[in-house]
Amino acid sequence: MELHELSAKETARGVRSKEFSAVEVTEACLARVDRFEGSVNAIITLTAEAALGAAREIDAKVARGEDAGPLAGVPYFAKDNFCTRGVRTTCSSKILEHWSPTYDASAINYMNAAGAVMMGKTNLDEFAMGSSTENSIIGPTRNPRDLNRVPGGSSGGSAAAVAAGYSPLALGTDTGGSVRQPACFCGVQGMKPSYGQVSRYGILAYASSLDQVSPLARTVEDLAISMEVLARPDPNDTTCDAYDRPRFTEALSLPDLAGKRIGVFEGFESSQMDAELYGALQRAAGLCREAGAKVESMDLPIAVKYGVATYYVTALADASSKLACYDGMRYGSHIDGATLNEMYVNTRTACFGEEVRRRIILGTCLLTEGFYQNYYGPALKVRQRMVDEFDELFERFDAYILPTSPSLPYVIGMKETDPNRLYLGDIFTVPISLGGLPGINLSMGLNALGLPLSVQLVGQRYFDAELLGIASVLERVMGKPGVATPGDIQKDRGAK
Amino acid sequence: MARPIVIGLEVHLQLVTRTKLFCSCSTDYIGRKPNTNVCPICLAVPGTLPLLNDGAVALASRMGLGLHCEIQNYSTFGRKNYFYADLAKAYQITQYELPVATRGYLDIECEGRAKRVRIHHLHLEEDAGKLVHPTADGRLTGAAYSLVDYNRGGVPLTEVVSEPDMSSPAEAKEYVMRLRQLARYLDVSDGEMESGSLRVDANISLSNADGSLGTRVEIKNMNSLKALERALEYEITRQNKVLDSGGRIVQETRLWDDAEGVTRSMRNKETASDYRYYPEMDLAPVVIGDAEIDGYRGAMPELPWEKRERFAKSFGLSGEEVSILTEQKELAAFYEAVVASGAPTARAANWVRMEVLRVLNELGQDIRDFRVKPSVLADLVTRVEKKELSSTIGKEMLDALARNDLTLDEALERSGARVGRLSGDALGELIKRIISEQPDVVQTIKSGQDKKGGKLKFLQGLVMKEARGQADPQETAALLSKFLAG
Repeated sequence: MELHELSAKETARGVRSKEFSAVEVTEACLARVDRFEGSVNAIITLTAEAALGAAREIDAKVARGEDAGPLAGVPYFAKDNFCTRGVRTTCSSKILEHWSPTYDASAINYMNAAGAVMMGKTNLDEFAMGSSTENSIIGPTRNPRDLNRVPGGSSGGSAAAVAAGYSPLALGTDTGGSVRQPACFCGVQGMKPSYGQVSRYGILAYASSLDQVSPLARTVEDLAISMEVLARPDPNDTTCDAYDRPRFTEALSLPDLAGKRIGVFEGFESSQMDAELYGALQRAAGLCREAGAKVESMDLPIAVKYGVATYYVTALADASSKLACYDGMRYGSHIDGATLNEMYVNTRTACFGEEVRRRIILGTCLLTEGFYQNYYGPALKVRQRMVDEFDELFERFDAYILPTSPSLPYVIGMKETDPNRLYLGDIFTVPISLGGLPGINLSMGLNALGLPLSVQLVGQRYFDAELLGIASVLERVMGKPGVATPGDIQKDRGAK
Repeated sequence: MARPIVIGLEVHLQLVTRTKLFCSCSTDYIGRKPNTNVCPICLAVPGTLPLLNDGAVALASRMGLGLHCEIQNYSTFGRKNYFYADLAKAYQITQYELPVATRGYLDIECEGRAKRVRIHHLHLEEDAGKLVHPTADGRLTGAAYSLVDYNRGGVPLTEVVSEPDMSSPAEAKEYVMRLRQLARYLDVSDGEMESGSLRVDANISLSNADGSLGTRVEIKNMNSLKALERALEYEITRQNKVLDSGGRIVQETRLWDDAEGVTRSMRNKETASDYRYYPEMDLAPVVIGDAEIDGYRGAMPELPWEKRERFAKSFGLSGEEVSILTEQKELAAFYEAVVASGAPTARAANWVRMEVLRVLNELGQDIRDFRVKPSVLADLVTRVEKKELSSTIGKEMLDALARNDLTLDEALERSGARVGRLSGDALGELIKRIISEQPDVVQTIKSGQDKKGGKLKFLQGLVMKEARGQADPQETAALLSKFLAG
């Protein structure tokens, strides 16, 4: 195996045992970037020099016999909505094109303290609003498993980076599926933790009650290691739970699923989704049964019927408020005007992209007197009903299996014209976000075209460790997703 | 028939926490260089999150208890959205749906009548920054540009919202005074209207002939109690005129112009902002346990009305004396310390409310800056009471002590007054000397020409002056008569 193909666990072990150096790993990963970035376009800012510097420090630590951390020398990328001190943080938006934060997000601090090496910032849909990583100042990211297709989004750059072997780990944020869905499209593992597990301090917010820092990797074990690094109380975020977290990696010793009760989601017409993804769901159900679980079908009527509407009302309302601080006065791009109001209008009109403006305007309307009573108020109530629905089901099940996405990754540019259809792609991920539940995109191999198949595992809130355990049992059977070699798939497509 | 006046007040009090409501910046912003008392949180730098200052919750709870409110075990914050340059996040974090304290009251007395003003609720919110307009009068009109100072942004406020229970400008003023007194007693706020640590918005309407409520108008920008009273009076006159002429009151917000003495329309209902209030999801709900509330209750100091009752009972003072002495708790404490040092209660009360307040006023000082220790004033009062000093000298000494770091004896020494009472032979010697120095006056008296006693008074005055007030006037008069007769 080449260095860029190693998992985070293997990388750290190798660096710590001096089998290879952190600098060698970083150079190997930078070589992958160098080779494929021209076609993949996953990175907004590459910090190669800083990464090599950090890697040298890790090597020096190892040489001195010091503990270099559980992620010693492990390269990682962060979505460009994580604040990184002195490294520009654009959110893929013209409004923050030249903005460099003066501080690191808590998640970045934790990763760096664990010995991980920050390689740079990845592409996303502007302000994490989107599911395809097409709405960006640097243009669309391409799916490393098929360059004609989108990588999903909004954390498409991070998912593509992990799939293309730029790094074994990447950080994304998941608001309504923004890590699970790109993980699904790019064929990697991705986990949205329970809301409140990981600090949001230093994340450029989309929706405060939904955003959650979420790791992407090529193994479930790497997700668990990342969780041990990331999930901890943070005095800078009062919505981040203050209690101690379990040892997530210990949950991976689960030998099988004996005694586990797994619900398989059946609440849709199979015609509503891609047949191969439906097949993957059935296959996962079968594997659970073979592993000793009691498997039954289940339904989420409220979540499926009202989830997307509830999600968009909640998230857009919040976005309209959280994005109001970008007025061009204190930071970010500024376009002058004759009056204060004109400056606001000029700046925000010219520097926010179309989708962001659409969501801000929708969100503003939703909170306006009259609309609030008809939309936001009811959405809060429906959200509670959905939580109740989940809670009732968790009396019968330890975990559910759902699709992550109803469709395989689509061709770039195809869906952009119909925002409504684009939003429906979130139908299986947003209810999980509204419930604050942990969700894992588990890779289920590739189809004949080499496109990734996957399922979504969902656990009870705060049972993140248990969910990782279940995922690891299934991964042992399914195998871990490999590194994609961008460009190869296109040839196959021609052959078909 | 006069239309009944209905007034409700919203009073903002800046809380005296050490740090801001959601970050660790200082609340001591006055006089600081603009935009130096700021941090990423109060400047709304992307990615930052608010961190609630527990001290502010404690102070708001304390104020709530002082207002006989129910302290809520569970309260939440919301966002009030509007774009303006003084608001970095473009939303103000404020308690909207579930405030920290609800349903209380404050008893006031106005023009001899007791009144209970009900409190609707009390909530926590953050202050905005300040705009600075580079015009001569500091107003926006005519300014080519404006500057923003975020030093004040995020300073904690508690807003006390009354029910519309006041029926005259005088009552409104009295309510604000009593509320301010309570806030100061509780060490919750400085309550200075001039510096803006206490701000009042008033809602006023005139009731219709059938007793139903009229359309209410909100008035803002009153920077003193006087301004509050004047603005309300102006508004009553204005609204009466409109109604008398068959007009209709428009629901609107009006700004008080203190220089012109008028209110001006700022915005009406049609153009009013829709603040799009909704829950603040970046902050966990505020949970205050019963034990915590009991703790706050147990730590409540003596409240103004309790102190008034005790002062009247223990010191036998009149209602007016008690009101003046207890207006400020520091003054009340000073008085109590004077009494505790042995001064008689009535005499001490007179000295404190007449002389001490006079001297403070002359010096532009607060009782907290007063140089004279209560024990020293007690000594002074006692000496006057024992007639060792005349009250004139006593007052002179108080003036001297309040302006210089001296002991009472040093002050007496410096003023030339002899220490100790002047009487008997010593006084006799002095009188004899004065008589010998004034042969003409003595002659006039002896010849019976001093019909009105003016010359005798002149002599007595000379003696008293020479005695530096340490002679007893009666003894002086008696001795003077004796020597003149002799």
